[in-house]
Amino acid sequence: MVKDPVNGFITTQPGLDNRGEHAVVADIDIGAYYESMGTLVHELEETWPRFRGEHFDNISRSKVPLIEAFPSDGPEIKWKVDLGEGHAGAAIYKGAVYVLDYDEEERADLLRCFSLEDGEELWRRGYYINLKRNHGMSRTVPAVTEDYIVTIGPRSHVMCVRRQDGDFIWGLNVEKEYNSEIPLWYTGQCPLIHEGKAIIATGGTSLIVAVDLESGQILWETPNTQHWQMSHSSVMPYEFGGVKMYVYSAYGGVCGVAADGENAGEILWETSAWNHQVVAPSPVCMPDGKILLTAGYGAGSMVLQLKKAGNQFDLDILQEFTPKEGLACEQQTPVVFDGHLLGILPKDAGPLRNQLVCVHPDDFTKVIWSSGQTRRFGLGPYMIADNKLFIVSDDGTLTIARPSTREYIELDSYRVLEGHDAWGPLAVADGYLVMRDSKSMVCLDMAADRQ
Amino acid sequence: MKKDKGYNRRDFINNGVRITLGLTVVGTGAFALTQSTTGKDYVWQIDPFKCTQCGRCATECVKATSAVKCVHAYDLCGYCDLCGGYFKPGAKLETGAENQLCPTAAIQRKFIEEPYFEYIIDEELCIGCAKCVKGCSAFGNGSFQLQIRHDLCLNCNQCSIASTCPSDAISRVPADKPYIIKGDFTSGEEG
Repeated sequence: MVKDPVNGFITTQPGLDNRGEHAVVADIDIGAYYESMGTLVHELEETWPRFRGEHFDNISRSKVPLIEAFPSDGPEIKWKVDLGEGHAGAAIYKGAVYVLDYDEEERADLLRCFSLEDGEELWRRGYYINLKRNHGMSRTVPAVTEDYIVTIGPRSHVMCVRRQDGDFIWGLNVEKEYNSEIPLWYTGQCPLIHEGKAIIATGGTSLIVAVDLESGQILWETPNTQHWQMSHSSVMPYEFGGVKMYVYSAYGGVCGVAADGENAGEILWETSAWNHQVVAPSPVCMPDGKILLTAGYGAGSMVLQLKKAGNQFDLDILQEFTPKEGLACEQQTPVVFDGHLLGILPKDAGPLRNQLVCVHPDDFTKVIWSSGQTRRFGLGPYMIADNKLFIVSDDGTLTIARPSTREYIELDSYRVLEGHDAWGPLAVADGYLVMRDSKSMVCLDMAADRQ
Repeated sequence: MKKDKGYNRRDFINNGVRITLGLTVVGTGAFALTQSTTGKDYVWQIDPFKCTQCGRCATECVKATSAVKCVHAYDLCGYCDLCGGYFKPGAKLETGAENQLCPTAAIQRKFIEEPYFEYIIDEELCIGCAKCVKGCSAFGNGSFQLQIRHDLCLNCNQCSIASTCPSDAISRVPADKPYIIKGDFTSGEEG
């Protein structure tokens, strides 16, 4: 008998990891947790009301002059607070800081309100939920208006509370109501409040929904006919050709959804040409109709050109390139400065890996400058305030640079935090800068006049 | 219908013990090597912080199957569902061969509990190609890394891999400290 040469071979097929079925979605009593510790004594003027700030561009319009060099012993840390492991950034509104934290002892998602000036905790509102560490737990920035705050938790529990005192208004269990799949490493999408509505990308049975802030009533739902899934990307408002829309980069594709009018919630344009496994940065929508889409895990970037023809929108793909070929970002969203784009390249970007680069607005593969081989960063945030670029490295080092379209100009840097994975977005208001690493948050007094 | 047997905490702990024991055995071997030689003896090793995962380790070693293997620094691993060292970019998160980065299926993926997966290197199958190390370094925590296994290495006078390594990542290290592992495992610090 002839010996079978493949006898004993095992085929490598799906299911060998014994992955179980998804657990049943838990009922969560959103808003059930509340604790009041004080009231805000001293109201301030400025705001950083949401992810990427008031104008969704990560640029502060504050007139407060900020320092461009650190004192020899570093910036003054006004206060520091321990947080549950995560990457959730803060929003600031008139002297109050809001952060959605996961309390590992209470086992609860908690919206925590602090005084910006002294760090005194004023109240907490949230809900009990058991979460396991998955590269941290919290990762989203609250959306804040004069009257409302909307949060979205790691398992996509949306909560709306009154801003002044944290009174619970309504909650939405997205995973349960829309049969949504929670993205890997939990929800990274930051909620949007726009023109009186909360806008949430649900994936699942509807792609995007609008919720009335006061009543919690669903105002419209965008059908998800192509079964796209929720990504970590956040919905960005955009106006082009006189039409207001919401741009969303989902798992499966990217689309623009009508923001108002009779067709609110309808898809105006869409393409599945942009379809990647992990998408964290939000779309960068330029005034001329260019939309930059970027993602990590080898995806690179795509540049769309949106055109309006009558009542219709057309799309062209202008560019598509790998991280080695042009501007691509894994976690943070690039910043537009003087028409140019600034961003930190991912680890798979070849010689320019982890460098801050500036690319030409007509060609996002044309790198005008980079921060150099000796100045690499990581997955941390960056923003512009008082014509200064603030960049956070993974280890909590804060770098100040002068934004420029000609060269990288570093002004100073200082290691502010001792932890790691300092990836949470920055917030600036009234000369205070709030930043975090994976386990703590600090408020720095950066106002030049107060030094 | 018979249900698949899950991978429970007991299996996880047992595996952890087994890996630890495996490393201990290797460590003991190195210790024995040290004891049989003088304190000035050296062995070849890869500095994982210099390695650029060029792939030469798989082909330049004088051994028919390279003495270079992928090892896993578990204290650095995120135990993620999407592992950049296990899956090809954009692949389905399933164990099917078409999704795996490793050309010899030398990495076992085991579900522990939501949301954790464990990745175990089968060194018998590993050829030291560094594809997984590259993926893990680019998209993950960098817990996969290449090391020269001293139970396999001939400790040639001139290491043929070192002579072609483009990043000068291979050098002689003291025989009593024969491995350079990322993370806190070898530094003695708790994570």
